[in-house]
Amino acid sequence: MKTPILEIEDLCARVADKEIIKGFSLTINEGEVHAIMGPNGAGKSTLSYVLCGKPGYEVTSGKILFKGKNLLRMTPEERAREGMFLIMQYPVDIPGVPVTTFLKHAVNAVRKHQNLPELDTMEFIKLVREEGKKLGISNDMLKRPVNVGFSGGEKKRLETLQMAILKPRFAILDEADSGLDIDAMKVVADGVNAERNEHNALLVITHYQRLLNYIVPDFVHVFADGHIVKSGGKELATELEETGYAQFVKEK
Amino acid sequence: MGGLLQNIKLPGDDIPWLEGLREKGRCVFAGKGLPTAKTEAWKYTRPRDLQADDFVLETTAGHECHCGSNCDCEKTCGEGSVMPFEAYELHFENGKLQHEHLHLPQGVTVMPLMDAILQNEDIRGRLGKSFDLQDYPFAALNTAYLEEGVFINIQENISPDKPLAIINHTHARHDNLLFNLRNVIVLEKNSRATIVEAYIYSGAEKSRYFANVVNEIYIGRGAEVRHYKLQNDAYKAVHISLNAVKVKAGGNYEAFCLQRGADLARNETHVVLAEEKARAKVDAAYHIAGWATVDTTTDIEHLAPETTSEQLVKGVAGGNARGVFQGKIHIAPHAVKTEGNQLHKALLLTDEAEIDCKPELEIFADDVKCSHGAASGELDEEQLFYMRARGIGEDEARRILIDAYLEDVINRIEEPAVRDWIAEQARQK
Repeated sequence: MKTPILEIEDLCARVADKEIIKGFSLTINEGEVHAIMGPNGAGKSTLSYVLCGKPGYEVTSGKILFKGKNLLRMTPEERAREGMFLIMQYPVDIPGVPVTTFLKHAVNAVRKHQNLPELDTMEFIKLVREEGKKLGISNDMLKRPVNVGFSGGEKKRLETLQMAILKPRFAILDEADSGLDIDAMKVVADGVNAERNEHNALLVITHYQRLLNYIVPDFVHVFADGHIVKSGGKELATELEETGYAQFVKEK
Repeated sequence: MGGLLQNIKLPGDDIPWLEGLREKGRCVFAGKGLPTAKTEAWKYTRPRDLQADDFVLETTAGHECHCGSNCDCEKTCGEGSVMPFEAYELHFENGKLQHEHLHLPQGVTVMPLMDAILQNEDIRGRLGKSFDLQDYPFAALNTAYLEEGVFINIQENISPDKPLAIINHTHARHDNLLFNLRNVIVLEKNSRATIVEAYIYSGAEKSRYFANVVNEIYIGRGAEVRHYKLQNDAYKAVHISLNAVKVKAGGNYEAFCLQRGADLARNETHVVLAEEKARAKVDAAYHIAGWATVDTTTDIEHLAPETTSEQLVKGVAGGNARGVFQGKIHIAPHAVKTEGNQLHKALLLTDEAEIDCKPELEIFADDVKCSHGAASGELDEEQLFYMRARGIGEDEARRILIDAYLEDVINRIEEPAVRDWIAEQARQK
């Protein structure tokens, strides 16, 4: 019997009074990789923001358990400290805050929550440099303000670096391949794959099948009109690449 | 005219030119009174209820430590140092200069203002000559009480190895103390100096006092002054400062003022770029909360060709605080090929906080480059969410973003030790 990390039951959510998620259910167990594929505008990003607790995304009914705890009662920072992580589609710029400063605050907030001693500056710098090196992130980039002037590829590398340092139990990749060339996508996919183990789980949200060649899912779900309309194994992704989403959109 | 103008005997009243100057200050202040809501230059920063307050002028001359017999104020009003960097420190305590011996390098003169008036012929041509009393009611009040302050002179080609720090430490035992400080700073040809001014208090956090300061700064040909100031007065205090600066050919005035304290404060800087290629950089920052009104006012006069000025002012206002920025750039006829740039940006942390901004350009010459800009906004929700989604608590995320907001303007301070000190002072209390 596998242990569930995330259990979503009949979730409904809205943004600015518009119902986007309509009766969404999904259980993700330890060690699994799930992919959610669907047409643009189906509400895929909304789902990722609801999971992370972004203000303005309102859950109207249903429930979500994260490691058996009620996720919906947690603030965004509590979710992150419990091990929720979102690789964002468009990571925001933070002028004036160097990458290292930002990461140090984040890693120590998470460690404190887990009753681990906070890292001192030396330990932290060593960790960041080691992990950064694996992702082709230079020391110079670590000194720059978060995402300011970063290319699309650099932004995604920084997201992956954060994942490598924060070691989440559950990570969501929201359109992680958007705006990336194949090489950059591979770096990100390798970085994410390196973090996979039997105790954590991954949810890949994507429009195209391409990323799934590098991060191979155990389950693929088709998401249309706010809920899952079809589930299958990894072969479903290939099938969708040929048939497109039209058949599911019509089902409305 | 109760309250601010009192009839008291001041030293040096037998010196006709000095008494004449004081009398002029008294007349102007008595005639004009306090600025009201109708006074254009003070329309956002109304010196409300100063009149009724009955501030008391302290006249006891000489050193009297108010800390009591078990005084451990060596660090604050004795010979010890209070700045976190190497500096020649001049300590004022409740507006009174504490006489102490400084081992100054050759070519650097520092003396109490009254000593300079008695001994130095040059001061007569400097004192009160850098601004028009009619334009500055509080400088007129300051002139009426001319007594305290220092005279600093840096000789030709001399550059002191350390900054000169003027530290005013207030720990008023009784309320409503008024003190007037007048510093006259002269840089001769091709000299350079860093002047640091710090206004700090201790003990009676609620004490209400009024620091009324005038700095007259004369920058000779090719000379340079870096003038860094911290205003961190008690939260019920009043702080009004005028920096009147004259810059000769090729001279450079570089200023940064951080305002953190006081209930009512204005730091006003009037720079006259009098000759060719004179330059000025007048930056400022404020980080305020509570019910404070904190004003940064600048007036840069370009009187000669190829003069340049730049100003970056950034502020953070929380609580019910009000940040005011008034910035004027004046370019006289014939002052061609000049450049004047100005930008004010502010961050409002609450719905109750307020920012008032009045940029003014007066351009009477052709072939000039001038710009001004202003923006105010709130903390970015997307940035906050991004940080929270990485586990950083909301309060901490806000604090990091607020500190980061002022960082770019603070980074423009050229001297690393001063920059670090200011950055530390700007951080959330």
